[in-house]
Amino acid sequence: MIENLTIEQTSKLLNDKQASALEITDIYLKKINTAKKLNCFITVSEDKAIEAAKETDERISKNKKIGFLDGVPLAYKDLFCTNDILTTASSKILSNFTPTYESTVTANCKDQGAVVLGKLNCDEFAMGSTNKTSFYGPVINPWKSIDNEDELVPGGSSGGSAASVAADLCVASLGTDTGGSIRQPASFTGLVGLKPTYGRVSRWGTVAFASSLDQAGPIAKTVEDAAILLQTISGHDNKDSTSSIRSNENFYSNLDSSVKGLKIGVPKEYMSDDLPEEIQKFWNEGKKILTENGAELTEVSLPSTKTALPAYYIIAPAEASSNLSRYDGVKYGLRVKEKSLTEMYESTRSEGFGDEVKRRIMIGTYVLSSGYYDAYYIKAQKIRSIIKNDFDNVFKNVDALFTPATPNTAFPINREETDPVQNYLNDIFTVPANLAGLPAISIPFGLDNSGLPIGMQLITNSFQEQMLLNISKNLQDTINFNNRPTQWWK
Amino acid sequence: MEFDKNSTLKLAKLARLSLNAEQLNSLEKDLTSIVSFIDQLKEINTEKIDPTSNSLDQDLILREDVAENKLSNEDLLKNVPESELGFFVVPKVIE
Repeated sequence: MIENLTIEQTSKLLNDKQASALEITDIYLKKINTAKKLNCFITVSEDKAIEAAKETDERISKNKKIGFLDGVPLAYKDLFCTNDILTTASSKILSNFTPTYESTVTANCKDQGAVVLGKLNCDEFAMGSTNKTSFYGPVINPWKSIDNEDELVPGGSSGGSAASVAADLCVASLGTDTGGSIRQPASFTGLVGLKPTYGRVSRWGTVAFASSLDQAGPIAKTVEDAAILLQTISGHDNKDSTSSIRSNENFYSNLDSSVKGLKIGVPKEYMSDDLPEEIQKFWNEGKKILTENGAELTEVSLPSTKTALPAYYIIAPAEASSNLSRYDGVKYGLRVKEKSLTEMYESTRSEGFGDEVKRRIMIGTYVLSSGYYDAYYIKAQKIRSIIKNDFDNVFKNVDALFTPATPNTAFPINREETDPVQNYLNDIFTVPANLAGLPAISIPFGLDNSGLPIGMQLITNSFQEQMLLNISKNLQDTINFNNRPTQWWK
Repeated sequence: MEFDKNSTLKLAKLARLSLNAEQLNSLEKDLTSIVSFIDQLKEINTEKIDPTSNSLDQDLILREDVAENKLSNEDLLKNVPESELGFFVVPKVIE
């Protein structure tokens, strides 16, 4: 009975008193224990989870349940600061950091009674699309190819957030998305992953990577669950000056799966001969479903598409190099003792950061350095205007865009990598939405011939998350994707 | 742009990173590859375009400048590597 629960189902079980929050939490804690091979969790907050579950049960016994998330076991990417729970950003430099405050996003979930099972592994400082850059080692994808026994990447950077939900080690999770870090791992693990509009969700208390791109969002088993989590974490926060003043919406109650009369654009620049045949097949199938369900499909053009990835690899490292300058061994985190202050900074940072983080700090320092600032950083910000303008233009004529989420399915962890740029290409379909600040979602569509999940992406105009969720629900209900990985890790 | 030992070391100095010989070697190669990837933007004409630093169509919202006392000195120093008398301690900077 307590297997692969959604938030909706968990809430119903609790309401109907078919299970207590403590029973459900216990089952999930046991599951986590039997899935250590997957390396999803950096910290399991067992005591706090049990305490929270007991509080829920107490409320239920008094008929004072406080909302959908009350008693629902969740887990968070280890990028969200959690009061009194170790928060590492998967980096050695924060491996001893226990915040004395709570991020706005996780505080919102806590206020709704959510039970926090622990903190999830990710790429170091969210930099990567494989989860291989974590100081705590790679997360293993619960999915395996039917052709061989290779261990596969779960995608990244929110690899633990995706793998833990796919393996049913938590009901749903939170991740962050700077260039695709929610949508790509959701696609690699057969889940729903949503990146909200920039400004929809407060960034306060979330370890910063690239501040003009970062957004937190849900990874969930269903569109309904994603809607519940989105409305929980959204809303204005006066601690984040880029937080939108728009009032929050009830995305879950307002779900309406009809797509009749909607215009959906298919960007021709996303079509490529390099796209694997099976991804192309599901993309075509999606277009067919949307048409049959009453939407009008039309080809559109986003001419600047190919400039998005190089612009991203200027802007994101530039902001990262600035944000990560705070890790200097002075106020918190790792300190390597040296005789002089400068030597202390250098030794601390060299020992504390991994290779990918160092690469990005170096690139960011380069594009911001005197003599290169205009040629790279300002240039990239201008490209960003062009990209945003392209989207503004197509959204005059269509309600949403429909594309693949990723150019590939999950690949082996031990795939040889000689050039970092090869990995950067994983984000080719997801990065444009971050640069333009648009909401986007990845939803599971089917399995390829090797039995691995394939996800498709929808993008809408700013603050049109309701439409994004509605179209997603239509596709979800038509496709009825309900495959789960076999539990080989037990 | 080809990164050599000197240009890589200069950048590392700016970024406050010290590198060993092996890291230096692989970074020279990686940085050269990444910069050649981002250099493709040079072909795009952006002369009459304004830069976008933030995609949100809204001015930054500032709250009232009122002092709050949410974190105690003890909380602030909870994660400090070294402290004394309620202050952060670092290696001596003035002889």
